[in-house]
Amino acid sequence: MDWGRVKFFLGEVGRSFTRNTVMQITAIGTVAVMVTVLGAFLFVRTTLADLGNGVLEQIEISAYLKPNATPQQIGALRAAFKADPRIASAEFIPKSEGLKELRERMRGVVDTSLLTENPLPDKFRIRARSPEMVPAVAADVRRLNGIDNVVYGQAVVERLLRLGIVLRRIGMVLIGVFLVVAGIIISNTTRLAVYARRREIAIMQLVGATNLYVRMPFICEGLIDGLIGSVAAIVLLAVARATVWPRMLEALPFVQFNAAVVDVPSLLLQLLLVGGIVGALAAWVSVGRYLQT
Amino acid sequence: MISLRGVSLLYPNGVRALDDVSLEIAKGEFIFLVGHSGTGKSSLLRLLYRETRPTTGEITVDGIRVDRLPSMRVPALRRHLGVVFQDFKLLPDKTVWENVAFAMQVTGAPTKDIMRQVPRALDLVGLSHRSRMYPDELSGGEQQRTAIARALVNNPKILLCDEPTGNLDPANTTEIVDLLLRINLKGTTVVVATHNQAVVDRMRRRVVRLDDGKITTDKERGYYYLGLGQGQVLSG
Repeated sequence: MDWGRVKFFLGEVGRSFTRNTVMQITAIGTVAVMVTVLGAFLFVRTTLADLGNGVLEQIEISAYLKPNATPQQIGALRAAFKADPRIASAEFIPKSEGLKELRERMRGVVDTSLLTENPLPDKFRIRARSPEMVPAVAADVRRLNGIDNVVYGQAVVERLLRLGIVLRRIGMVLIGVFLVVAGIIISNTTRLAVYARRREIAIMQLVGATNLYVRMPFICEGLIDGLIGSVAAIVLLAVARATVWPRMLEALPFVQFNAAVVDVPSLLLQLLLVGGIVGALAAWVSVGRYLQT
Repeated sequence: MISLRGVSLLYPNGVRALDDVSLEIAKGEFIFLVGHSGTGKSSLLRLLYRETRPTTGEITVDGIRVDRLPSMRVPALRRHLGVVFQDFKLLPDKTVWENVAFAMQVTGAPTKDIMRQVPRALDLVGLSHRSRMYPDELSGGEQQRTAIARALVNNPKILLCDEPTGNLDPANTTEIVDLLLRINLKGTTVVVATHNQAVVDRMRRRVVRLDDGKITTDKERGYYYLGLGQGQVLSG
């Protein structure tokens, strides 16, 4: 390791970084805001998704058989359900057992002894491997031989799925906008830094420094902007988690948010990565544009 | 060492900076490029260190086809060339030593090479005693000597000078020209673009004259106005 070279390089980065403090702070602040929003969004999305999954996981598909379904048809259906990779389990419930369940559920509500005959059809109780598969599985099952009708919490499932998709889209757009804004501000910071050092860059190029070498200090600068911004955002998020989150839970007592489902180390890593990449990339593009002209 | 064949340079604004220029410069030569401002002297030098590319023609510098050189390989070419300008192009916030070392540091030279070559370059230009000073504490001549030390620190085979004495008084001019001569005597090929008639006439070296982008005179041991009428001499 040639310490003289390392020292020279770090000196160049440091000088560049401290040259325009105001712009530097602006860039860091923008990244911090962007990453905070991103972090909050990811956190809420994970807890919401958990909440949604909790509801959706309880969703089962009831496939009612035609009254005249033969045992062979029932056997074929059982085999078809077993062969479908999307189906986690399919349980055959004969009408006698269905009635028993109904009586259990209605005990004390309705006098089921009034029923003189069993009005229920035989059915399969099907669970899909994931909530998103429910509508498709239900539609496919409906088409099978011997099936009369298929019932699941259509409205609930579809609404929840749609809500999830809408939230994800809003989040993506929001994050995209913030990334672009942060990128623009960092690339402007870089442009100012490049402009301030244009004499040095001209001399570097004249004496035969490679483009990569000329770029490096600026890219490091962008990277540092991004990382510091991310760290600031993480601190902000930690504070919010400790102060705002408990109050939100109090305000919404009927919603069972579970913050424990968020994988904190991986979330922090993601935020740092996003900040760093945006910073370095914006700087890279900005210097590159200068060097080409 | 340097060869131009049928080189023309047309700027995008339509100005023809060089028009079918052919020129051979041998290893170890000392050559003046003369002519009025805007006759293509600087353009010619810029072509040699690949700041611009010719519109047509072939350029070879130290065995490298510069007109075809891809951008990626330009740094390698420039490490074999030293370039000096009228305005010195020194970094004001670096000392003499740091300015000279900069040329090696940014090309990734090992520290021990820097420690060996920077003092040698400063000694050659006679600035060892000024190494800790900043450019604005130096005279114009000393600043240009610093720039020359920087151009030489990587031991280039060719030194290109674009009006090196343009900002200097006669005393400093003599000092710089003598220095360039000494550098040339050590084996470096030196190309000097200038319109300083006194310098050219005193040195009596090869003189290539450019007029409107064309070579009009090329004489060994030449004078600035060799081959031109008396009236033009007086008007110059």
